Amino acid sequence: MVDLATILAGLGDAFTLSNILFVLAGVVLGQFVGAMPGSSQEMTIAIAIPFTLVFTPLSAIGFLIGVNKGGLVGGAIPAILINMPGTPDASATALDGYPMTQKGKPIKALKMALYSSVTGDTFSDLVLITVAAPLAVVALKMGPVEIFALIIMAFALISGLIGGSVTKGIIATVFGLLISTVGLDPEHSTPRFLFGFPDLYSGFPISSVAIGSLAVSVIIARLANMSGGMRPALHIPRDQTADQKRVSLAEYLACRFVLLRGALIGVGIGIVPGIGSTAAAFMSYASTKQAAKDPESFGKGDIRGIAATESANSAVGGASLIPLLTLGIPGSVSAALLIGAFLIHGLQPGPLLFEQQGRLVYGLFGAMIIANACNLVFGLVGLRLWSRLITAPESIVFASGLVLCIVGVYLSTGGIFGVYVMLIFAALGMAMNALNYPVVIFVIAYFLGPRFELSLGQTATILRGDVTNLTNHPVAIVLLLMSAFSVFWLGIRPALKANKRKVSANSSDPLD
Amino acid sequence: MKIINTLKAAVCAAAVALPGAALADWQPDGPITLQVGFGAGGSTDTLARAVAAEMEENTGWDVVVENKPGGGGIAMFSQLVNARPDGLTMGMGVTIPTLINLAERGETLPFKADSFDYLATVAVAPLAVVAPADAPYDNIAELIAYSKENGGALVGFDGGEMRLMMQAINNTEGAGFELVNYQSGAEIIQGLLGGQLQAGWGAGAHIQYIESDDLKMLAVATQTRQAYAPDTTSFIEQGFPYSAEPYFYIAAPKGLDPEARDALASALDAAITSDALTELVGNVMQTTPTNLGADGTEAKLVNGLSEITSLIEAAGN
Repeated sequence: MVDLATILAGLGDAFTLSNILFVLAGVVLGQFVGAMPGSSQEMTIAIAIPFTLVFTPLSAIGFLIGVNKGGLVGGAIPAILINMPGTPDASATALDGYPMTQKGKPIKALKMALYSSVTGDTFSDLVLITVAAPLAVVALKMGPVEIFALIIMAFALISGLIGGSVTKGIIATVFGLLISTVGLDPEHSTPRFLFGFPDLYSGFPISSVAIGSLAVSVIIARLANMSGGMRPALHIPRDQTADQKRVSLAEYLACRFVLLRGALIGVGIGIVPGIGSTAAAFMSYASTKQAAKDPESFGKGDIRGIAATESANSAVGGASLIPLLTLGIPGSVSAALLIGAFLIHGLQPGPLLFEQQGRLVYGLFGAMIIANACNLVFGLVGLRLWSRLITAPESIVFASGLVLCIVGVYLSTGGIFGVYVMLIFAALGMAMNALNYPVVIFVIAYFLGPRFELSLGQTATILRGDVTNLTNHPVAIVLLLMSAFSVFWLGIRPALKANKRKVSANSSDPLD
Repeated sequence: MKIINTLKAAVCAAAVALPGAALADWQPDGPITLQVGFGAGGSTDTLARAVAAEMEENTGWDVVVENKPGGGGIAMFSQLVNARPDGLTMGMGVTIPTLINLAERGETLPFKADSFDYLATVAVAPLAVVAPADAPYDNIAELIAYSKENGGALVGFDGGEMRLMMQAINNTEGAGFELVNYQSGAEIIQGLLGGQLQAGWGAGAHIQYIESDDLKMLAVATQTRQAYAPDTTSFIEQGFPYSAEPYFYIAAPKGLDPEARDALASALDAAITSDALTELVGNVMQTTPTNLGADGTEAKLVNGLSEITSLIEAAGN
């Protein structure tokens, strides 16, 4: 396909001082915006693209890749430190990251997140670099029917495993789907649930819904609970032993299967366009919890929870470039922005890409490897800084977090309307938290809703309205069976068991 | 008297000359927003960002691109119509989706075709129907025959005009095409290469797959043939009296100061006809930039409505 000389020339192009500096600048910027609640790497890429026009193509693409990868690492920081995910895909990381912080081990949690993220990312990049072509063939076979079945499976797994109750998980899923129907329908562009607001033609803005229900709801709850004193947002014990601050090699290796599973799930989700890293993180978390001997330790500060989510959400990145580069199909918002940048810089995704632009593509791969190294190095420097920052009084930390959320949503949605929507969903998030409905499932369902509806319409046409035609789609059948099985295994069986125990407990004590 | 006459002449001359002077002088008193009616990363977005960057470089103005996706540009135009006509807000969309919405549900939309001041077109999408290279049909008539024999053929589309043209053929020929809605041309290509579709519509992304011999052309939807495939006949040549030429166009809210309108139109024209845009449009859409100018764009939108209405009637919607 591409001769060795081209590969080496491309990698050589990447490893120049100026390129490394561009990638590093991108990573630093990405980690910063990822860690700032309310701003995201997507927004940053969108803003940065016009400025990159003056760079050489490789520097520009390397910079944007750096922003994207940095953002994935940065998003975990506020999730772990203050239970407020900087990006939606880090919300899974908060499940075990924040309890670790509460136990006084924020540095250890941050380090594990960083190592896991870089591990998953590097694995995914190596898959991209070595087997992109055969995997692209797999991606081709994932048609609308298969994607429909995959989304069902994601819903089944996630609602079964996150939060305490499958019923509440399913209610949250359906509610997210309902909210996602606001706006024009994907089939015939009929306006739905607008109530006279033209701003709602494109639905509730994604960033308003995600930041409002995930981050602002937490901030407001924390502010409401404040009692006036100047307490620091986080108290880190001064006399920590080295053991509580670092991740030993043994601890890292103990997570090797968790990391590998996370990376594989991330790669699998990444090559299927439109599912996204948030779902990957939760699926990895769910299956790790399911496979563990002691599932009850999850959600209470288990380091494996962090390893599972961060390896999976970072592994989506490299793999999502497979459909992007070979077919031009973006798997996520940031991939969609990158495709625009590729085109502007003369990199045309498609079947002729490797032949015509092999050198630039391998330059891009080189830049991705550099970005991973930068992420690791700068991440280790940065996390000390971040964990110092939140030892500031919580009145300052949360108030400024709220301001950042408002500014970020205002910028990314282009107006105050998005901020109002954010505040409405913050109230909704607080209500859901108070009643123990899992907010993250609601948000994932909201993300996947439009895709789900479109796939449903496509599937109905492809099957010609006849369910028996599903027999032509064995992959979809397997996925649907797995979803039914996991709902039974995770939801119905434990409930039956609990009932039985209750019944037998009652009947064994007749004297009471 | 002479003095008065001279004065009169001077006043008249000044009155005539003033707009001219102001034309050169019109400057935006703030950053210009170019709203895009489609999501980030698509061809409309890519073109808009390139036009904005080129305008900034040529004029020194700040031109900010904002994405307001939804309903093929309707979400954005519904908001643009209420923006202040101060020359600081423009919107970019595609003609045919706008026209279809105006024709099908014009009474529910907050704007009409004449609610805007039109400024420019950027390019026209090279619409075509394509199929896997090894498919046993080479034109629309053979695809219809194949569909009839096999109880229907799955055809992927991602735009209303594509659906309407296929429905019109279903009505007149009894072709039995099953139409599958996709979000982008790239996903239609995925469906074709993955064997899920028998044929599909391309709007530019298909061209390099034609060159790599993975796909083949069945017909072009433009009125004339397309440069990259000079042997492929159009729908009209094949005996189906339908065509679709979606133009990417830029409009501003109605009531623009004529000076601002002219200044914006000429700044846009300079950007659209620049070498950078020519190269980009070549990369993105395998075609060349086409600016019909302010009046030509208005004519496309205002006159295009009746053509679309007759296509909708042919499709039986």
